[in-house]
Amino acid sequence: MIETILNFLNQKEVIQATVVIGSMGLFLIGLFGLLTQRHFIKLFISIEIMEVSIFLLFIGLSFQRGLTAPMLGDGIKTFTNMNDPIPHAMILTAIVIGMAVLALGVSMAIEYHKLTGITDVDKMNRLRN
Amino acid sequence: MSLKRTIPMTTVSGFAVSAFFVVTILNILIKNMPSNIYRAGDELLKLNSSEGVANAVTTVVVYFRGFDTLGEIAVLFIASLGIGLVLKSTTKEKIESEESNFMLKTGAKLLSPIILIFGLYIMIYGHLSVGGGFQGGVIIASGVLLLLTSSNHFHISHRVVERLETFAGVSYVMIGLIGLIVMDSFLGNFLPHNISQMGLLLSGGIIPIIYIIVGIKVGSEMSVIVDNMLKRDIDD
Repeated sequence: MIETILNFLNQKEVIQATVVIGSMGLFLIGLFGLLTQRHFIKLFISIEIMEVSIFLLFIGLSFQRGLTAPMLGDGIKTFTNMNDPIPHAMILTAIVIGMAVLALGVSMAIEYHKLTGITDVDKMNRLRN
Repeated sequence: MSLKRTIPMTTVSGFAVSAFFVVTILNILIKNMPSNIYRAGDELLKLNSSEGVANAVTTVVVYFRGFDTLGEIAVLFIASLGIGLVLKSTTKEKIESEESNFMLKTGAKLLSPIILIFGLYIMIYGHLSVGGGFQGGVIIASGVLLLLTSSNHFHISHRVVERLETFAGVSYVMIGLIGLIVMDSFLGNFLPHNISQMGLLLSGGIIPIIYIIVGIKVGSEMSVIVDNMLKRDIDD
């Protein structure tokens, strides 16, 4: 019984579908937060959740069963039977850049709150008047 | 607030529609999965052996996508500049904040040298094992954050950090231009890189040098971001 379940879960299609569904669900959670919440810190948290879902999608889809990490090491002497290194490289930089851009947005929002005392995004309409 | 809540009809129908879409997309994904997916990384893995670097991700980040990494570092620099501009403290005099507690001070004394050395190790061995400049730089910034939160007397000299940033950015571009002159391509690998030396610390030509430069840049910029945010907190 357990072995059949494990064999079913070990299929390539099932692994990739799990990754796609999981990251899609995480993305939808972030989108839900972005559409329903009006506090700016909660908006930043929602955007960050969506970002993490994209990271998970890239890394999860680049994984294939039976292939090693794209790196030479003990017993691995040639660059064959390896996972795709491009998603790793792209996500590696995207994490750092995402963190820096988030810090910029949060600092701007904090400064706006210091000047006006507003935390609600709907009320940030000073330029309109 | 009671735990019993009536779920609105729109939520239920929204969940039903999204579940339908998920099942449809899954069906398409499973039915139409090609047996042999052509990956762009295979070509890069073949090319990778000629550079003499054991970590293929490092080669992709620094060498094949080196120009993009330069742009990403520029984004990081602009973000750090913007944070410094937005959070610029208007008052110059320092306000003494509360002393940190004993646990934090002792823990920082114990851990911060280890964290900083670990960050340096990750940075320098980026072409041989997991890690590299981006990760090492962020680890160093976390060590600096621990030092900044634990003690009131630890300050980052902004002049030194600015010099480090300028040095790192200028030397990245200079190495690229030297490659353009010597090897006819921007960021060409003009230093000796033999496959027989693969796995040694001095291997891979300019690739480890560029990753260390990236590490210096990321570490100093992240430290400045952390310092700006914490200083603003003290000023309030």
